[in-house]
Amino acid sequence: MRPAIPASAMTVWGGRLLILAVFFGLWEYAAATRAIDPILIGRPSGIATYLWHEVFVTRSLIEDLGWTLLATALAFVLGSICGVLVGMAFVTKPIIEALVSPMLLALNAMPRIALAPLFLIWFGLGIGSKIAIGFSLTFFIVLTNTVAGGRGVNPDHIMLAQTLGASEHQIFRKFILPSAVPVIFNGLRLGLIFALLGVVGGEIIASEHGLGQTLQVLASSFKTNGVFGVIILLALIGMGITWGMTALENWLLRWR
Amino acid sequence: MSTAVRTGVDGGASRVAQGVGGGPGSIIFSNVSVEFKAAGVLAIDDVSLRVGVGEFVSVVGPSGCGKTTLLNFAAGLLPPGVRRGELLVGGKPPVMGNRDIAYMLARDALCPWRTTLENAELGCEIRGLSPDVRRARALDLIEKVGLKGFEATYPKALSQGMRQRVALARTFALDSPILLMDEPFGALDAQTKLQLEDVLLSLWQRERRTVLFITHDLSEAVLMSDRVIVMSARPGRIIADVAIALARPRSVRALQKDPAYHELYAQVWAKLEEGLSQ
Repeated sequence: MRPAIPASAMTVWGGRLLILAVFFGLWEYAAATRAIDPILIGRPSGIATYLWHEVFVTRSLIEDLGWTLLATALAFVLGSICGVLVGMAFVTKPIIEALVSPMLLALNAMPRIALAPLFLIWFGLGIGSKIAIGFSLTFFIVLTNTVAGGRGVNPDHIMLAQTLGASEHQIFRKFILPSAVPVIFNGLRLGLIFALLGVVGGEIIASEHGLGQTLQVLASSFKTNGVFGVIILLALIGMGITWGMTALENWLLRWR
Repeated sequence: MSTAVRTGVDGGASRVAQGVGGGPGSIIFSNVSVEFKAAGVLAIDDVSLRVGVGEFVSVVGPSGCGKTTLLNFAAGLLPPGVRRGELLVGGKPPVMGNRDIAYMLARDALCPWRTTLENAELGCEIRGLSPDVRRARALDLIEKVGLKGFEATYPKALSQGMRQRVALARTFALDSPILLMDEPFGALDAQTKLQLEDVLLSLWQRERRTVLFITHDLSEAVLMSDRVIVMSARPGRIIADVAIALARPRSVRALQKDPAYHELYAQVWAKLEEGLSQ
């Protein structure tokens, strides 16, 4: 077999756009001719009009987007900090892990969204309950990865550190922590996506603001174009998060 | 004949003599045994060995004969309760983190998140040297091991041999009078190994620190050392202590053409075979 010749970036991007154009073209055609009922699938032109109107004219989606992003960011930051701290406590003090890890495992095995009604009772319809749900997802993901990363330290490094007379603190800061960072980062990337999932899920169940709440309202009145519009917005946020985290990771972990 | 006696006023004999009293830089094993009772393994059986100040001593022997255990004992890495007999390192009982000791492993143990310079500085950094001092030392040694221009390179971009050069720089940047080296070139290909042996010899030649060098490579042991200690298969016992009376400074290439080197090699090899057949 002849080796495949790599395609130029132009060709690849052109091809991708073409695929999207064909996809949306067919979609528009199917909706316009009522081959499929637009109540079910909406209509690309309608979705575009909705997004334009709600983002640039009334700006109502911007405000909801802001609430969702704020809740996601807070859930992510709090969940990650707690996850890393508890994880590192597990790595450095095995007794702590022995004591609490069975309880945490049980909590983690629980479908988190089932806790949403409880969080609503505790923290109300506002942003607090959304942060709590996002936190409950992010925390465990980051915790698990931190423990895995902390355990993955190279035994040669520990031996070298011991012969050099390194203190516990030095071993942690100069060997365990840096070697755990790549694995922790995988957890953070996943944790951010799950924070968004938890927040939007909470908003769908009961909320005053947010994209999830908008989605719920639109869906219950069969505004399919609006539902697709919000879904596309959420997909863009998800992509942005992944892209941003990858860029940050490539910069922070440029030694890899 | 270059092989008859050690040359120079600071030749091996006088350096050995300094170490007899157990001053800084000497290592003295007296009737040392190490037994891992849990595993039921007698690793080392009644070993007595004096390594004098500034002496380069290699230990060879079949794998599993306790060579590394000797080194770990000296570095204070063995748990208490498995060892008997007395060991004095620089006149003191072995403790973990002894500043008189610089330890080098077979694997480079570089931190992948540190550059060449940062890795070379690591030992001094942990031992609390000021940033200026440790940087100056690291830069000097990076040049000596032939890595000038690679200061900002991460280990992933270095070859195996270059990585071990960084590990040499990290080890020699410490001012410890005793170097414990556990098969530092064991994982390298033959050609790279010869180059690094020359680098090590030239580094050692400058300061003449005490070296206890573990290897399974007889030619390496003969090329580098003042004495070669031959150990038997487990339980490890010393079965020969061969003085290597080759002139210094040595060059690995030149010695390979020297008949005296080949004679010593054959002698050590014969001792090793004796030990294996026992």
